[in-house]
Amino acid sequence: MKQGLKKTSLFAAAVVSAMGMVSTAALADDAKSITTVVKISGIPWFDRMETGVTKFAEANPDMAIMQVGPSTADSAQQLQIINDLVAKGTDALAVVPMDPEIIEGILKRAMDRGTIVVTHEADNQKNTMVDVEAFDNAYYGASMNARLVECMGGEGKWTTFVGSLGSRTHMQWVGAGEENAAQNAGMELVDPNNESFDDANLVYEKTKELLRKHPDLKGFQSSAGNDVLGIGRAVEEAGLAGKVCVVGTGLPNPSAAYLDSGAITAIGFWDPQKAGMAMNSVAKTLLEGGEITDGMDLGVEGYEKVTVKPGPGDGLLVFGNGMVLADKDTYKDYLF
Amino acid sequence: MRKLDGSFVLLVTLIVVLLATGGLLSGGTYLSLFNLQSMANQVPEIGLLAIGVMLAMSAGNGGIDLSGIAMANLAGVASGLVALQIFPVSEAPVAFTILFVLGCAVVGLIGGTINGLIISRLGITPILCTLGTQMLFTGVTVVLSSGRAVRIGAPGPLYELGNGYFLGIPWSFLLFILVATALGIVLRYTPYGIKLMMTGANQKAAEFSGFARARIITTTYALSGLLAGLSGAIIAARNVNVKWDYGTTYLLIAILIAVMAGVKPEGGYGRVVNVVLSAIALQLISSLLNFIGLSNFVRDLAWGAMLLFFLFVNRFALVEHFADILSSGRPPRASKT
Repeated sequence: MKQGLKKTSLFAAAVVSAMGMVSTAALADDAKSITTVVKISGIPWFDRMETGVTKFAEANPDMAIMQVGPSTADSAQQLQIINDLVAKGTDALAVVPMDPEIIEGILKRAMDRGTIVVTHEADNQKNTMVDVEAFDNAYYGASMNARLVECMGGEGKWTTFVGSLGSRTHMQWVGAGEENAAQNAGMELVDPNNESFDDANLVYEKTKELLRKHPDLKGFQSSAGNDVLGIGRAVEEAGLAGKVCVVGTGLPNPSAAYLDSGAITAIGFWDPQKAGMAMNSVAKTLLEGGEITDGMDLGVEGYEKVTVKPGPGDGLLVFGNGMVLADKDTYKDYLF
Repeated sequence: MRKLDGSFVLLVTLIVVLLATGGLLSGGTYLSLFNLQSMANQVPEIGLLAIGVMLAMSAGNGGIDLSGIAMANLAGVASGLVALQIFPVSEAPVAFTILFVLGCAVVGLIGGTINGLIISRLGITPILCTLGTQMLFTGVTVVLSSGRAVRIGAPGPLYELGNGYFLGIPWSFLLFILVATALGIVLRYTPYGIKLMMTGANQKAAEFSGFARARIITTTYALSGLLAGLSGAIIAARNVNVKWDYGTTYLLIAILIAVMAGVKPEGGYGRVVNVVLSAIALQLISSLLNFIGLSNFVRDLAWGAMLLFFLFVNRFALVEHFADILSSGRPPRASKT
């Protein structure tokens, strides 16, 4: 008996102390909740997205809005988080899938249970209500190329980099770039679709090779986030900064030095902050029973007039106009 | 009376505390049938891998199996590709499911046997051997699938295995408990099980006693591979798709679960029931933290703290000491019997 009592009191003490640890967290709540689940937390890209989610939460104080994500880049961990959120009864999920295929099952179960599901960067996701994309891929590729053509004065040899030949979006970007360049007779594409595997060092070596092979090479269009860094470094070391045009996907902070020196002409990207807000905005509209229609305004910069297309599943694909093309003078507005 | 098992008591207490805490904090949602099912559904794939790690650790001589999740992914991908060739999913769902699950088990068994043979016949340290085969399995999986996800599809019976319920309990969880029970019985009552633990406890003595050491070790790693293969089948059933890089974090979590369950890393001791409880406890913690909305980094921290706590408590047998003190404080006539 005495032993039993001791155990009970010990147990009670444990419960109380555990509760103390988390007493600030409100759990049972009548407010509608939207949770953004990112690929991985604690990296600059998704920290930037979180600033958008926070902004949206401030604008909607009556809703419980937050962002979570696994601490390691593993689709299994993201899957667990989504599982638990669905079980918890979160009203709407805004997911940036690590691996769209792996979470198809749970997203289907979530929707069967009445949870609103919105995704981003997953235009092949079947089990989603709305997939929000920052821009149309063809438009993005063509815009980057237009900037390149402008810098090159409409003529000269140019080449392209992709993350890998299997990367669908990258191939779409350079494909659209080639189409755009074809309008100028002077643009001559040489050795296209170099694979970078998003490895700046590899790109650096390849760029040096390309510059040796084609001393008159005047332009680069690249796709993966680290490509511009490798190209920029090779161009700078060859003393060609400002003479060779480099336009590609990149992030402002890492590219800053090369943008300043002129080794990179311009970087293209989309702002994860705005994408996070756009996802939440769509989720809110759906929660309130609204519909997403072609041309509607999501109330987020770059998503004022979205294009709506049918998605690969029953859901919708929503394209914004959220592309940003930043150069030496403008990148400082987007430091992340 | 049997000696009190400290890990068992600790794990059961922890599970009760976690369930109560979760229930209180969430206003009951945490204890709702849906969440209990959801959590039970998440345990088997990692639980099976953890039992595999336990087996390898019990075999002693620095035993460990790092190839578990790589093996599971390989099993799912390889078996899936073969089964898809033989049976059209939509026309023969039952035949497909049976072939697929058996295929996963066979691939796992073969992979595990390779591990066992390398370790026992070539005398390679387990950590190096399984690190090597882990990379090998991952590589083969990438090549087979060209690095993309393989869609297994959701034929009725397979989907049922991954997401269905029997009397409210997920099928995958039942399978997990069934496999664990069978293994527990094997380890406790069969000559193989007893010899395994003895080999783990003292390799030299086992050899001088005439145990077929090589065969015991090969069998052990083959079993671990088989469990990984089953884990692969469950992953495929649950997620509809399988991919080579799924669950890269499981490698360390499986080891964490085994050590928390009181399995001796130096070999010779481990109980399946504790591993099952430990896997459940870990799941309860991570779901609870997700419920509260705490960062995943907090979860890593909690797991680390728990691992150290369990190691400390087990090392000094604190629970047993505590129980001794309590029972010696009883009146003499109670302690006489």
